[in-house]
Amino acid sequence: MSEVAMENSPAVEDTLHGKYLTFMLDQECYGLEISYITDIIQMQPIATLPEVKRYVKGIVNLRGEIVPVMDVRLRFGKPEIAYTERTCIIVARTGQLCVGLIVDSVCEVLKIPDESIAQPPRINGNSNRFIKSIGKADKDIKLLLDFEKLVADDELEAMVHPESACPDAPKDA
Amino acid sequence: MTAEASALISVLVVDDAAFMRLAIKNVLNKHGFTVVADAKNGQEGVDKYKEFKPDVVTMDITMPDMTGIEALRLIREFDPNARVVMISAMGQESMVKEAILSGAKSFIVKPYKEEHITQTLLKVASKC
Amino acid sequence: MAPENNQDESLLELFVFETGQNAQQLEQVVLAAESQGGFSHDQVNEVFRIMHTIKGSAAMMSFVGIAKLAHRMEDLFFYIRENPEASYDSRAVSDMILSCMDFINQELERIRSGEPADQEDNQLLIHRIDLLMSVMTGNSEPHAGCSAKPPAGVSAPAPVPLGSESPGAKRYKAIILFEDGCAMEDVRAYSVTVEVGEYAKVLSYEPQDIMENGESAARVREHGFTIRFETELSLEEVRKKLMQTVFLSELDLVCETVEAAPTEAGHDDAEAHEGHPEAAEAPEASEAAKKPAANQDSTAQYHQQPQSIISVSVNKLDLMMDLMGELVIAKTMVVENPEIAKLEVADFNKSAAHLSKIVTEMQELVMSMRLVPLSATFHRMQRVVRDMSNTLNKDVHLTLIGEDTSVDKNVIEHIADPLIHLVRNSIDHGIESAEERARAGKSPTATVTLEAQNAGGNVLVSIRDDGRGLDREKILARARANNLLTKPESEYTDREVYNMIFLPGFSTNEKVTEFSGRGVGMDVVMQNISQIGGSVAIESEPGKGMNTLLKIPLTIAILDGMNVSVGDTRLTVPIAAICESFKPRQQDILKDIDGNEMIMVRGECYAVLRLHRQWNVQTSVTQLTDGILMMVEQDGKKRCIFVDKLVGRQQVVVKALPAYLKKTPLSRCLSGLTLLGDGSISLILDAGWLVETSINGQ
Repeated sequence: MSEVAMENSPAVEDTLHGKYLTFMLDQECYGLEISYITDIIQMQPIATLPEVKRYVKGIVNLRGEIVPVMDVRLRFGKPEIAYTERTCIIVARTGQLCVGLIVDSVCEVLKIPDESIAQPPRINGNSNRFIKSIGKADKDIKLLLDFEKLVADDELEAMVHPESACPDAPKDA
Repeated sequence: MTAEASALISVLVVDDAAFMRLAIKNVLNKHGFTVVADAKNGQEGVDKYKEFKPDVVTMDITMPDMTGIEALRLIREFDPNARVVMISAMGQESMVKEAILSGAKSFIVKPYKEEHITQTLLKVASKC
Repeated sequence: MAPENNQDESLLELFVFETGQNAQQLEQVVLAAESQGGFSHDQVNEVFRIMHTIKGSAAMMSFVGIAKLAHRMEDLFFYIRENPEASYDSRAVSDMILSCMDFINQELERIRSGEPADQEDNQLLIHRIDLLMSVMTGNSEPHAGCSAKPPAGVSAPAPVPLGSESPGAKRYKAIILFEDGCAMEDVRAYSVTVEVGEYAKVLSYEPQDIMENGESAARVREHGFTIRFETELSLEEVRKKLMQTVFLSELDLVCETVEAAPTEAGHDDAEAHEGHPEAAEAPEASEAAKKPAANQDSTAQYHQQPQSIISVSVNKLDLMMDLMGELVIAKTMVVENPEIAKLEVADFNKSAAHLSKIVTEMQELVMSMRLVPLSATFHRMQRVVRDMSNTLNKDVHLTLIGEDTSVDKNVIEHIADPLIHLVRNSIDHGIESAEERARAGKSPTATVTLEAQNAGGNVLVSIRDDGRGLDREKILARARANNLLTKPESEYTDREVYNMIFLPGFSTNEKVTEFSGRGVGMDVVMQNISQIGGSVAIESEPGKGMNTLLKIPLTIAILDGMNVSVGDTRLTVPIAAICESFKPRQQDILKDIDGNEMIMVRGECYAVLRLHRQWNVQTSVTQLTDGILMMVEQDGKKRCIFVDKLVGRQQVVVKALPAYLKKTPLSRCLSGLTLLGDGSISLILDAGWLVETSINGQ
């Protein structure tokens, strides 16, 4: 496993470009630009929260910092499964926002050149919204995520982009 | 001089150690003196003397930058009738003598007893 | 010396504070002198002056141990000052001072915590000083005594025979005895001659050597001081003047002039000089700051520009913060009062806006008052680096960047220990021996850098070294040995491996060194940092070095809270909002006409809010009589909140909700989050929400 860089200074950004961390949800392989990623941690006890969306499982204590964690399966509308020892939390940041993403398992860091990246096809369905592009590496398809959309406020998004609106059941009150 | 008389005596306390300033002020306040100001170095002592014109000044001998003796001289220059009492420690005889020569009215040796301060200040203030 | 009253207590507090400052300042001077290879004249003076001050205050507070030690050091430096040609081992002297400061700091610690201070076990230190002194004085001609020569131009007046006085003048003889214990009787006697000289002509006095000989003080003490002088004043006038002598115990005054003046064969001596303060040429005072010609010494950096600074007790600042908080709330209640809003008074709105602006400014000011620069804490590390470099024989240079960065006063106290540990860690384990560094092509002097910078509402403090970095294999091996691995080793990222050192009890030291110990490791550092609301992260590059990053909030809000639990969820309720807590009795529980649960308390009815039902939390405690009801009040409204149990009262550090959660409905229920002692997270409930939210029925 190669090391992921922490400081996202401009100089470092360049060398991060085109590199993606890939992870599995069921049989699908997704990728996230490593410029967003600051940590990969094991599953740990999560403190549940009231009044949050179902896919927000709660919060964890990351060396003194409190990080909210999201179950990406649920975010994508997939059925929930039990966590295994391979389940990981990918800690990603954009600006002040920091979120942990619970995924089935983490694969590797891949370099995908821009030429191998294409626009996603327009299909109806939940996961479509969060895919920024499709990458091809060694004949395998990697679904490259749009992190900003992933952590965006859905109601707000629905108002701004009504065509991509999709129901997400809020947590039972 | 009665105890009430001490209330009429205004004092300026000059010492670079906050601890000493507080200690002396405590004693003076307890015995009814009026501490009009305190200063933490020689220059400030001179400035505050000019501003408040106290009846008596207690002046620490060892201070950085401007020493107590220099400050004493400057105060005496400004006011030849200034009454300055030096606060010194054992082993500083030569400096105390120099201070006396420079116009200090008396001196108190550390560690002092409360009566030393009050007695000395009363006497110095009432000298005619 | 136990404080007897408030005044004594603040004097003691001031003593501890100021002596601590002085000790710190002294340490700086010594370290600076060391890096220059010796003490400059200014530095010697400064050390002397500080020791003198410490001695004085300690003596006044009757802390004999400290006073004695300071006195000996003062003597040592007096010698050095008076004998600039004397050669001495400045390294040994610096070590000596630092050891003395350590003793004094220990004493101050004891005094602070109320333990008996005044330990006499400074004997060893005093012996060491004596040894140093004897070595030094053996090296060169010792300076002749402490008492300097008398000011030029003053000498004992020669006796003048009776009968030679001018017409109208009378000759007097006064014998003065001073009070016991007034000290420096020779100088007092001298001051009498000066005073008398102001209204009379001083003829002679006895003992004559009061100016030159310190021993004369003893003679004055025993036999009194005799002075003969001539003046036109009457006996009564002279007596009145002499009675003003400070510390006068006995006065024996006679007028020696009688009508028939006997003549003695007198020698026509030169006129006796009177000691006129203005006339005498004072010698170059040894205290006068000699500005040495070309002596670039760095003590200047420790002399701050005279700033107007006062020291204020932290308790007062805390109180002020609390009052500010209440002021903000009270202002809001006035300004946003619905009755007034209805009236639509334009002038009121204007005044209200003005009031709001002022209150906001005040709040910001109060918060900024608690900010303290990190420089003092950073500079303490110099000592740590010095000591460790010496003991481990490694050449380490400490670089400080951004020491002016300020953090909350509360935070400063919690940072020092983690910093010390991290610096020690770097030097002990990170930095290689000189040979290893040479082999690796690194410079022989290793560098440890402490850097602080502001980043939004946080302060980032980084501790980095250019040593060998973390050893992935070693860490994995230790994790393996402690059964901490949950997947094949190759699958761990370097970052994941490095973060393992935060696990409790994790330490790859086989040997417990003097400094690092075993198990007092990164987990303790992390705990200390998370307690103040901060977080820790690590970076490392094998062969290049390691960087520990602390992220600390600028200000920390501390809340007096009651920890409770509902199922697995931990919650904290502000104590200020809690009226009482109790276990309800079945007979007091009832339902109102709408079927809402109520509880009777001393004749009044209060609504019950079941948190487990409100939030669908799994818990076995569903019967009201099995759990606890907390009566909570806010804005005049009261409600009883049902929880499983009370865990305990605690002062918690409030951490804000993460940005991701701020826009959710959660931000209405919680005023923040906090980390409990066991690392678990507790949700801090907002009292306003508790009493107002609509209750979920079932």
